[in-house]
Amino acid sequence: MHVIRELLDMQIVDRDDEHVGRVDGIVAELRNGEPPVVVSLELGFVTIARRIHRGLEAVAERMHKRWSVRRSARYRIPWSDVMEVNTHHVRIDVRAEETVAFDWER
Amino acid sequence: MKKGLQLALGILTAIGGFFDIGNLVTASQAGAKFRFQLLWALLLGTIIVILLVEMSGRLAAVSKKTIPEVAREHFGVRVWFGPFVILVLVHLMTIAAEIGGIAFALQLLTGISFQLWALPVGILVWLFLWRSTFSAIEFSTASLGLITLCFVVAAVWHHPPRSDLLAGLLPSLPSDDGAKYWLYAVGILGALIAPYMFYFYSSGAIEDEWDRTYLGINRIVSVTGMSFGALITAGLIVVAGMVLFPKGIAVDSVNQAAFVLTEAFPFWGFALFAVSMGIACLGAVLEVSLSLAYTVSQTFGWRWGESLEPKQDARFALVYTVGILAASLLMTLGIDPLRLTIYTMALNAMMLPVVSIPFLLLMNDGHLLHEHGNGILGNLATGVIVLISCVLFAVSIPLVLLGGG
Repeated sequence: MHVIRELLDMQIVDRDDEHVGRVDGIVAELRNGEPPVVVSLELGFVTIARRIHRGLEAVAERMHKRWSVRRSARYRIPWSDVMEVNTHHVRIDVRAEETVAFDWER
Repeated sequence: MKKGLQLALGILTAIGGFFDIGNLVTASQAGAKFRFQLLWALLLGTIIVILLVEMSGRLAAVSKKTIPEVAREHFGVRVWFGPFVILVLVHLMTIAAEIGGIAFALQLLTGISFQLWALPVGILVWLFLWRSTFSAIEFSTASLGLITLCFVVAAVWHHPPRSDLLAGLLPSLPSDDGAKYWLYAVGILGALIAPYMFYFYSSGAIEDEWDRTYLGINRIVSVTGMSFGALITAGLIVVAGMVLFPKGIAVDSVNQAAFVLTEAFPFWGFALFAVSMGIACLGAVLEVSLSLAYTVSQTFGWRWGESLEPKQDARFALVYTVGILAASLLMTLGIDPLRLTIYTMALNAMMLPVVSIPFLLLMNDGHLLHEHGNGILGNLATGVIVLISCVLFAVSIPLVLLGGG
């Protein structure tokens, strides 16, 4: 799998096709002499800000502390929860409404 | 039966979304100053808008995805973020201009300043969005928008010379005031090819659960709906050309445009103009506010849908709430709706490459569209649209400065 092309920015849906968010970042583990392994998918404004410009990350962190309803600025979904990756979405074995991503809807 | 109803509703909604404060201002200015000479810009813009609306509907029906969704997935957040920020800005300016249009219509009817109307109007628009479903918005926009047909009725009543109308459909150089001529041409194109049209249309197709069986309906709705919308705009250009042009009245404020219907409808022409303007802007502000919420929610992958309760898609509802509030407050400051509309239309025209280039790339993606991607003709047409967009990008701001806005 081409991780950057096929995973990054894709729509994440739960078991019932509910939109959870997008793959804003990918957390990978570097291993000596072996290819890196994807550990988790990361969601959140701070992750997006970091990708756009490193300087924006701190701004996004401050905005999160001041205004965000979400418990954490970053939300990670372990790779073990990923059920399916196709050209349309990344499906995870978690209920969307139970995740941090749905703090606004609670 | 369901599809027949959707077809009729789609056409009417397309008309409702098409005619707004941008068309109203640019068409009345063009008609008053250059009579029918700028009808060609309307024709060109309508062809472009038909092609792009059809593509956005086709994309949604086949891939079940909207433009912001595929744009982020294809280009990545680093590339999409810039256009996304500009799109949000243009949406906000358009919402403010439409709210300004409704408030100004109320000023025409009551004599109370539009500044005082802006906030109550914003609150009513927000309440309507908060309480109603997509179908209710679609139906009300569609049925109320029919009142704007009064411009077509008035145009027919004036019996404009057919040869002059046909001559106006061919591009020609102005005898004087070239900067204004091109500014109005760019304004007409900017008003017609407003980005929200495509984002709203493709999201609406998902809300109405379109699939591949709707491709025929999509084609009919985009051609017929946009053509009817253009007919209303043409009606206004013709009426302004028949009423204001001979008297040498330039449309420097909406007040002057309000007299275009007074010859065809002597007793209630002024009120009819105000009501038509208010309703056209109301239909448009509902669509633009939703388009803003769609664009933001889809870019970030949130749950979205006007048919859901606001608590089910709180972030989607929050976006249009903040957008409407900010736009209403902007209008309470007393910004002239006409001037704001002119700047917004120029900005619309300037950012057309951002709108048109993704079409060229996305409509050729086999994973998304399978056998329904663009053919040679479709790509050729989109290529020409991209070229025109690039010209508009280069000339729009200098023209606003030269033409005096």
